[in-house]
This record gives sequence, structure tokens and C-alpha cells, in this order.
Amino acid sequence: MKQIIACVKLVPAAAEVALDGQFRLKRDSTSLQLNIADLSAVEAALGLKEADTQVTVLSMGPAKGEALLQELFALGVDRVVLLSDRALAGADSLATARALAAGVRCLGEFSCILCGRRALDAETGQIPGQLAAALDIPAVTNGQQLEKADNGLSCRRLLETAVETLTVELPCVVSLCEYSYTLRLPSILGRRRAKDKQVEILTAADIGLVAEQCGLQGSKTKVVHVDTKAPGLRKCSYCNPEALCGIIKGVQ
Amino acid sequence: MQELLLIQGTRPDMGLQRKAAQLAETGKLQLRILSVAKAEAATADDSAIAKGLVAETNNARVILAPATVRLRCIMPMLAYRLQAGLTADCTGLEITETGQLLQTRPAFGNSLMATIETLSAVQMATVRPGTFPADPNGEYPQTEEWEACFSDAVKCIEQQRQTGDQGITQAKIIVSGGAGIGSKEGFDKLKAFAHKIGAALGASRNAVDLGYAPYSAQVGITGATVSPRLYIAVGISGAVQHLAGMSGAETVIAINQDPKAPIFQYADYGIVGDWETIINQLEELL
Ligand SMILES: Cc1cc2nc3c(=O)[nH]c(=O)nc-3n(C[C@H](O)[C@H](O)[C@H](O)COP(=O)(O)OP(=O)(O)OC[C@H]3O[C@@H](n4cnc5c(N)ncnc54)[C@H](O)[C@@H]3O)c2cc1C
Repeated sequence: MKQIIACVKLVPAAAEVALDGQFRLKRDSTSLQLNIADLSAVEAALGLKEADTQVTVLSMGPAKGEALLQELFALGVDRVVLLSDRALAGADSLATARALAAGVRCLGEFSCILCGRRALDAETGQIPGQLAAALDIPAVTNGQQLEKADNGLSCRRLLETAVETLTVELPCVVSLCEYSYTLRLPSILGRRRAKDKQVEILTAADIGLVAEQCGLQGSKTKVVHVDTKAPGLRKCSYCNPEALCGIIKGVQ
Repeated sequence: MQELLLIQGTRPDMGLQRKAAQLAETGKLQLRILSVAKAEAATADDSAIAKGLVAETNNARVILAPATVRLRCIMPMLAYRLQAGLTADCTGLEITETGQLLQTRPAFGNSLMATIETLSAVQMATVRPGTFPADPNGEYPQTEEWEACFSDAVKCIEQQRQTGDQGITQAKIIVSGGAGIGSKEGFDKLKAFAHKIGAALGASRNAVDLGYAPYSAQVGITGATVSPRLYIAVGISGAVQHLAGMSGAETVIAINQDPKAPIFQYADYGIVGDWETIINQLEELL
């Protein structure tokens, strides 16, 4: 495999989030962490790496994410590209996938793109499919246990009531479940090599997009209202096992 | 007349069907129900299904589908091809008389509820399965079976049904255990209880991390989203990441020895006490 691309999103680390007047995340005010499912994508990419494989991490977000992304070099990632531009901000999943696809096209030939199956903040899980459609290649979502196979990759897909073993042709997109891989720790050699490497930052213009295609402008969904009150609060009545029995029997 | 296209898959959501019929009426749209179950069986390649579906959308103003694993892959692919806005995993839908769809969905582990409008001509949304109640007496247009398409770009070479347990996302009752269960043996006991009452076994992330239960049982923001009729949380504290996965349950029962555990605030019924003692009592009573 020549190049494996892992898509990584930086998400707010705090459980509480701040919104601006447009109901957008105030990304400047919160500290960031790597999205959990994306850790699986990075580890899976490093695991598939052969002598002549380049592992590239592609991310989109504010420039302040650079420091966190820089740490990935020490794990053995060869190249990190961050799409960062005011024009890209506020994108819904459609505009995000469009930007990522444009970014991918700037990275050269690739064998597969690995993603986390969903992000902890927006939780849409739509990017892997939309990215695959933008590039007109197949995708497998909810994946685990990615391995090389004769004509491509094999992996498991977690469905509602079954686990499938699939083979998928290259090039393709595979999205991976949280915790399906444990991200390795940096080695001393890795840390040393990382010193010479730098995150490349690309703007919308660099990847050939105009303002109308990106960010809020390029989005087809619009948040019109946000309720911050946590839903799901209930009024608890305390009871004894006999009463619980009745409730269980009522549902059976 | 413009259509409200409902795409059903291998596991059709009859509640969504009912909701779709109501939305079509209010929004003055024609309801059309298309099943891709055959296509899902014929190929594991969701991109081929999405590509094929484009031709079915010529009159569509709204496209809805239950948020099953496969339709959560097919719908984004279709949306990209149509350059249409798509809202994921909605828990509320409304429509105006002019056919503008208002979609509500939780975000940030349920700490926010966002209402979303779509700006494109075609408005798309996936809906959390089980969100809307079904109506067995409802009358709906006949479901069209969509011609199975073929592709082997993605091939299924083996399918392992999860034996014993029905999948948690489909279960009517879920008994879910947390770190408070304390051991693998304790979890086996909880599982036996679950099976006895016809429930599936769920787990918190801490229980999964401790090796008590498999990841496929995990409920929450990094696990499954479930909306059973009854959710019984045993030895689970009620962290927001867990609540995100189960707050859609119709009725929630909490069993926890700590009266201050947050889970009680999100439960309809609660018992404070040692889980094993309480489960033993329940087993005797049932
Ligand atoms: C990014 C992120 C994602 C996460 N995703 C998820 C997710 O998807 N799902 C999830 O569940 N969590 C998730 N978590 C973890 C979550 O924050 C909590 O840590 C976790 O849910 C706690 O699990 P628990 O309730 O089993 O354990 P604890 O919080 O340790 O609670 C154990 C409970 O058991 C009770 N107990 C102890 N002994 C007994 C007894 N004998 N009888 C009765 N009760 C007893 C205690 O009073 C306590 O309330 C995530 C966290 C992060 C940061």
C-alpha cells in the first residue's frame, strides 16, 4: 500500500461547551482532544503500514490544533495536513466532506482512507459515507479488525444483530469503532524524528475551493434553535421490588 | 405532486412510517415508501445502493430513513450525490404547510437539543429507531420493493448472528450493568436475570473496560443508542455519556446503592440498595 490516509478531528475536551450567537461552537474557548474513534483510525493506519507506505493524517479545524497534531509524528505518522481557514468554519457534514475530499485530492494516490465512525461533538457519523461518495469509492462503516486481504482489505462490520466479515476493494473508506484499537505510545526514536517534521496547513484556496463551497456558506443545513436544557430528566418514584415486578411484567 | 420518500431497510421502523404519513399530510406531500431490504441482502456495498437510489429521488422534497447502521451509511452517500442537507439521528420532526422540515436532534452527549432546517430543495434526515410509536391500524401506501442491485466492491464472507442475545438496539427490554456489578461472575448473574425476563444485556463503558461485558453491549455516546420500552440500569452511576445512549427509553428503572447517584434523576422508578440482593428478590417474585 502506497498511502493510507487517517482522518482526525479535534473535539472540545470539556463536557460543557460554549456556543456563539449563531449556535456555533466557540472553538476558541475550549481545549481540544483527539476524537476517540479517530484514535482507532490512526492506529489501524499505522498497523497496516509497510516499508513503502506513507501514513498521512488529514484534519480540518482551527490552527490552534496544530500542536496536538504535531504529536502524531512521534507515533510514526509521516505527514500531517491540517485544513484551516476562516472560510471553512461552521461547515455541516456535507461541506466538511467536500473540503476533506478536496484535501484528499491534494495528497496524491492513496489505498484507503480510515476515519472514526463518528465525532464526540456533533455525533453525525455522516462524514465517512459522504467523503466516499465525494470521491466515488466504496465505504464500510462501523468497522473493526482491519486487515490486509488478497484484493484489498478485510474487516468486521458491527450491525445491530450481527457481526459481518467483509472484504472491500481499494481504494475505499473505512470508518472504525471507538476502542477497536489502542493507540500506540510514542517511541524515543519517534520523538527524535518528529522534531524535523511539521504540520502542513492548507487554506480553502490551496485545496481549490471558493468561499461558496465551504463552511457555513457551503452548508445545506442550518441550526435555527438550540435548547441547552438537558433532556431526559425524569421524576423518580422510589419503590420496592414488588412494584418493579409489576412494571417489568407490564412490558413483557 | 412532490414526494415524501421513506426509505426502509432490513429492519423497518413502523413508528417512523406512521410519523412520515402525518408529515406528508401536513406538508402536502405524497408519501412513498421504498424498501431496500432486498438490496441490503444482495450486496454489502452501501455505495452501490446509494448510487442506484439517486434515480428514485426525482420528485422527492423530503427523504427519511431509520438510522440503522446501513442506512446511516447509505443516506449520507445519497445526500452527497444529491448535494442535499442531511440531519443525523433525529429525535423529533415537524413540517410546515409549505413542506419545510424542522428536525430536532441531541448533540454533545445530550447536553444540547438542536433544531435544524435544511436549505436545499431536497431535505433529508435519519431518525433514531423507535423514536415514534407505531400504529398497527394505520393505513399506508404499499411499500415498493426496490430492485436489488449488485456490486461486489464490498463482499460479505461471513455473518455471525449475535447468538442468545437479541441485539440491544432492537430489544424491548434492556438490563444494563455498570461497574457497580463488581465482577464478571456478577455480570453472568445479571445476564441470566436478563434472559429470564426476555431482556437483552447492556453495559456501561466502565463495565466494558473492566472486561465484564463485550463492547457490542456498550450503551452511550461511544456505544449503542437504544430506545427500548424498558431500560433497567443496575450499578450504573448515570454519566452524561451513558445517558446519551439511553434517554430515549420509554421507562427507566435505576438500581443503585448510592441514593445520590445521578441516574436516579433520569429514572422513572428507583430502588436504593445492593443490586444483588434486589435482583435476587426480583427473581423470586417473577
Ligand atoms: C469521551 C467519553 C466517552 C464516553 N462514552 C461512554 C459510553 O458510551 N457509555 C458509557 O456508559 N460511558 C461512557 N463514558 C464513561 C462515563 O463518563 C462514565 O465513566 C461511565 O459511564 C461510568 O460507568 P459506571 O456507571 O458503570 O461506573 P461508575 O461511575 O463507577 O458507577 C458505578 C455505580 O455503581 C454503584 N454501585 C456500586 N456497588 C453497587 C452495588 N453493590 N449495588 C448497587 N450499586 C452499586 C455506585 O454507587 C455507582 O453509582 C465516556 C467517557 C468519556 C470521557
